[in-house]
Amino acid sequence: MRSAGRIFELRVNGADCRVEVEPETPLLFVLRNDLSLNGPKFGCGLGECGACTVLVDGVAARACAYPVRLARGREIVTLEGLGTLEAPHPIQQAFIDAQAAQCGYCINGMVMTAKAFLDAKPRPSESEVREALRYNLCRCGTHVEIVQAVMLAAERGWRRDGAATE
Amino acid sequence: MSFLAPPSRRELLKRGGVIAVVSPRKGAPAGAAPEDGLDIHVCLTAEGRVLAFCGHVDLGTGIRTALAQIVAEELDFPFAAVEMVLGDTAQTPDQGATIASETIQVTSIPMRIAAVQIRRQLVALAAAALDCPEEEIAVADGVVSRRGEAASPLGLGPLLGNRRIMLPLAESAAFKPVEQHGLVGKPVARVDIPAKLTGRFTYVHDVRVPGMLHGRVVRPPYAGIDAGEFVGHSLAAVDRTSIAGIPGIRAVVVEGDFVGVVAEREEHAAAAAEALVVRWKEWPGLATDLGDAGNALRKHPATARKLVDEGDVEAALESLEKRLDRTYVWPYQMHGSIGPSCAVADVRADGVTVWTGSQNPFPLQADLALLTGMPAESIEVIRHEAAGCYGRNCADDVAADAVLLSRAVGAPVRVQLTREQEHLWEPKGAAQLVDIAGGLGPGGALAAYDFHTRYPSNAAPTLALLLTGRIPNRPATLKMGDRTAIPSYRYENMRITAYDMPPIIRASWLRGVSAMPNVFAHESYIDELAHEAGVDPVEFRLRHITDERAAELVKATAARAGWAPHVGPRMQADGEGILHGRGFAQARYVHGNWPGVGAAWAAWVADVAVNRATGEVTVSRVVVGQDTGMMVNPAGVQHQIHGNVLQSTSRVLREEVTFSETAAVAAREWGAYPVLTFPELPAIDVMLMERQHEPPLGAGESASVPSAAAIVNAVYDATGVRFRELPLTPERVLAGLNGRPALAPPSAPRRSSRLAFWSRLGGMAAAVATFVAVSLPLTPEIGPIARPDPATWSAATIEKGRQLAALGACAVCHTGKDGVPYAGGLALETPFGTIMTTNITPDPETGIGGWSYPAFERAMRAGIHRDGRHLYPAFPYPSFAKASEADLQALYAFLMSQPAVSRANEPSRLVFPFNLRPLMAGWNLLFNRGRELEPEAVRSAEWNRGRYLVDGLGHCGACHSPRNALGAEKGGRAYLAGGEAEGWEAPALTSASRTPIPWSEAELYAYLRSGHAARHGTASGPMAPVIEALKGLPDADIRAMAVYLASLNTALPEREAAAKADVILEVTASAAHLAASPAARLYEGACAVCHETGRIVPLANQGPALGLSSKLHAATPANLVNMLVQGGGHGAGQMPAFGQALDDRQIADLAAYLRGRFAPGQPEWRDVEKAIERARISQR
Repeated sequence: MRSAGRIFELRVNGADCRVEVEPETPLLFVLRNDLSLNGPKFGCGLGECGACTVLVDGVAARACAYPVRLARGREIVTLEGLGTLEAPHPIQQAFIDAQAAQCGYCINGMVMTAKAFLDAKPRPSESEVREALRYNLCRCGTHVEIVQAVMLAAERGWRRDGAATE
Repeated sequence: MSFLAPPSRRELLKRGGVIAVVSPRKGAPAGAAPEDGLDIHVCLTAEGRVLAFCGHVDLGTGIRTALAQIVAEELDFPFAAVEMVLGDTAQTPDQGATIASETIQVTSIPMRIAAVQIRRQLVALAAAALDCPEEEIAVADGVVSRRGEAASPLGLGPLLGNRRIMLPLAESAAFKPVEQHGLVGKPVARVDIPAKLTGRFTYVHDVRVPGMLHGRVVRPPYAGIDAGEFVGHSLAAVDRTSIAGIPGIRAVVVEGDFVGVVAEREEHAAAAAEALVVRWKEWPGLATDLGDAGNALRKHPATARKLVDEGDVEAALESLEKRLDRTYVWPYQMHGSIGPSCAVADVRADGVTVWTGSQNPFPLQADLALLTGMPAESIEVIRHEAAGCYGRNCADDVAADAVLLSRAVGAPVRVQLTREQEHLWEPKGAAQLVDIAGGLGPGGALAAYDFHTRYPSNAAPTLALLLTGRIPNRPATLKMGDRTAIPSYRYENMRITAYDMPPIIRASWLRGVSAMPNVFAHESYIDELAHEAGVDPVEFRLRHITDERAAELVKATAARAGWAPHVGPRMQADGEGILHGRGFAQARYVHGNWPGVGAAWAAWVADVAVNRATGEVTVSRVVVGQDTGMMVNPAGVQHQIHGNVLQSTSRVLREEVTFSETAAVAAREWGAYPVLTFPELPAIDVMLMERQHEPPLGAGESASVPSAAAIVNAVYDATGVRFRELPLTPERVLAGLNGRPALAPPSAPRRSSRLAFWSRLGGMAAAVATFVAVSLPLTPEIGPIARPDPATWSAATIEKGRQLAALGACAVCHTGKDGVPYAGGLALETPFGTIMTTNITPDPETGIGGWSYPAFERAMRAGIHRDGRHLYPAFPYPSFAKASEADLQALYAFLMSQPAVSRANEPSRLVFPFNLRPLMAGWNLLFNRGRELEPEAVRSAEWNRGRYLVDGLGHCGACHSPRNALGAEKGGRAYLAGGEAEGWEAPALTSASRTPIPWSEAELYAYLRSGHAARHGTASGPMAPVIEALKGLPDADIRAMAVYLASLNTALPEREAAAKADVILEVTASAAHLAASPAARLYEGACAVCHETGRIVPLANQGPALGLSSKLHAATPANLVNMLVQGGGHGAGQMPAFGQALDDRQIADLAAYLRGRFAPGQPEWRDVEKAIERARISQR
């Protein structure tokens, strides 16, 4: 059954917005096409690779397999909502400092998953970092730098609000 | 990196105040104006901007940064002043495709020369301005001054004035001595990374242009095949009406075998491409069985090309002291870009603009000219970065797709390929077969080497050209199997033969093109010879190596790793049954047309751990040495080496394209083509040789090349067993360790022996005859009334009715595909035919507006239409009969106060004899008790309320009780003991339930309220809308239903249930199940991300624990298979459909695997294929 388009009021990166779409529309398409957010990427549409990851009430969500109807009334944060080019979030800064991207297509998912992970576990071991990223795929083989980046972010002191403790 | 758009080539060629190094533009007419006829290599403006132009592109390797370093170094300008313009047909010179890691080694040379020329020109201008010798002019950090007079630099503005200085590109130049390098050779942070980390980078996927529409393509069934008579000629018909219900469709474009759709919104384009009914002619199927790649390549027609023939190989082979004949097989592999290819095209009358991620902007421009018939110069190809490709993926294909779709609609169109399309159609990295005959002469001499390599390549023509028939569908044979075909060792008699072959499947270059498989053979073989000669493998290599730089790299890498000389396999076991080993391999990647050009040298020392019991191989550490010559950005080189080590380890351990008879390529997502994951990372130690005085060499692929041999040599050291076929999956290794052939027998198609419910109905004729005898009473009509005024009822009554309608989930059945509530039109498939649900809105003509309450009550209790016709018990009136008078009144009030919708009912289509409605009267005599329920005094009021709801308007038994041969619900022990609904199994709600943890009141409550119970799973299929409808019911009623249903079950005490659940989760977790079969890997890649429990970081998409799920423990596979094929959701979650991503074989194997792993106590399912077929039909 194809449901008719409906108005959805969403809260994305701290701002309220309205979109008119069908309830089953993947949140990813709404973020990219209606809100022009380029951070989350289409990778598989099946929730397998993680390139589309966003935060929903602070929990990592695979936006390609997350219908917009579930996003109502929740706080959505994308890569753009963490920090900016001029003032990157500490985890973005850690990735920049560790040069943790080659093509960078998967990196949105790495950052967003790591953000949710560090919020829950601010002082992880390296093997815990690897475990947290188990279901995020990278094809360029940037894994080494990505793990370094997450460890770097943790070592610099992690606070849930995103401010470095140093 | 400046975010100001750089000025265009044309602007620079027309303005004053510039020094530009130029050369004639390829294909430009003689006497053309400069802006039409000249390419710029480097240009300096009076404002101090440095623009450098390169026809190659950055494939995510950081080449943009390294190129800017080179220009800044030779120009003596700051790194930040240099802006790189890459791979754009209107801006940059045509330097061919970005391949073979040659951008630094080859393509950067004109830019580097140009930078030297501009610096010299600046010096000359300054010397003239100051009237001094040029030797006295200094350029440093972008500042031009007279030596010793740093305080008064010469401004570029005054120096250049409005002059337009065009310098023809010189053939060579004196580059700055290495000793003076300030930028080149120093690690520099990549310019693109900050933008990539903050969502500010514009990948091709992010390009948006005004008025842009969204396109998707539908590919033919011969997935991944681009040669053969059927290619371009297989389309039979496209049913455009099949997507009539999808909004915003702008076009369906069909040309030859090219099919695409354009919509205003992306999700509608995606839905249309999936729903569009396209009929294809039968195609003959894959001619070659690729399940055995080695044999397939040996039988494939080939042309032998002798590359080397030194000495007398035939004679030497006859007189060897130790002869070794060996065969090595490399599988087809994927590039596996993380982002499926995407492009935007804008086709106008005057030209075309294409935004693409292609690595070949200029060849693509020529292809698009051929596709459109428009002149190449009217087609601008603008390159944006895309997901890394490591060779040729579908980037060019999708650009051509976008052009066809844009041309059809006259507007810009963005086309995004699906994951499945990228997997199926990307030109694969070719399989390869190498045979070596050779061996040792007296004294361990390398006496003979007869090397034969078979490589089925092709050019992978842009797909749209083939599908539309613009180019012939005949295969082309390329000569690409010869990369690094010559070994690094001095064999006394050597013959090297490459067998050039047409493609078997669509293939193109993938990182380490043909060199990686050739070196797998060379370096495995030399290891065997070392063992035969009784010499340490590193020492043996050094004795025979031909190249001094290679020898130095071998020594340095072995030293770095602490290589301990040894002979033969050491088979070192630790206390846990794990065998440890270490292997060596080295090579120089040689690319380009024979004899090719050498890129960097690389050497590996790999440490592995092999689990003797399971066959699992882990690469624990890699020491990799590389001689790159001069390194521009050592940090970039190190990064590339890391990437090569991890990607090639993945290829060696895990990767192999799988095939099916029906669709050629079978792997369509990451479960079927698994790649290395974070927990499997080896430790990597990179050693970079100090060679800054040597010319720079390509660094993008070399470190991949020795990987396979180093790993198999290490496995040999650990186990004493040699593997000559990849990948090293646990099952292949285990078979090898046990001395068995590695190929598992294909799983035989399973045939169902259990008959479905409705196929058992054959013996019903006798029962029906009885029926006819007893049952032909005619029921009188109850006359129509005027539609009652809703104001008749109180708001409280209507609200109560609304809750009862929710309980009865009336809307679930009485709402058609168009979603108008209660207007009917849903087709219910029953064993007796298709029943169309009716309009129950208060429309007097087509709905029930003319029904009085007595008519409504009679229908609800007795199953009789107002006009006297009998209704079919798909309408569960035997349940409704149990409802109270007051409740039926309220329900009537609610329905009568709904908006009237005029829509005529469609006739049901029932099979004989069920199409005889009067028969239902006899049915009613037999099965419909038609009475209100009497409360049971010994039970609580809540229990009685629950029973009333479950058995009455809730009509749970309509689905959850089995039915007899005449379609009536069974009672007694069969009551709520499990039934069927719309192709789904409605599980037992009683102690007949098969779930491992019995239902408790708390679980029932959670399930009915939220659609999810932690120890049972999630409502799906027809139950999902029921849960949705139940949201309208007060909590007390949900609780009462849970109380009643719980009384039909024997729950475990909570502590016992919790402990049992914990045990189940532990024994079914991935930690307890090695992924030692394709189905197990499918689970790990496709399912585990959402369904694996105990994860270290929560996921919003988390699905039910499969070990506790009712679907896995059900009697039939229907519910699991339906979920896999169709996906499904309810209030709290959503499972994506895998029907497009997995083929029937994969779903069947996965279902069997999941059943065995997650419901180990349950019998194997036997009717999986049938369930898959039904699930696919009902999805359509």
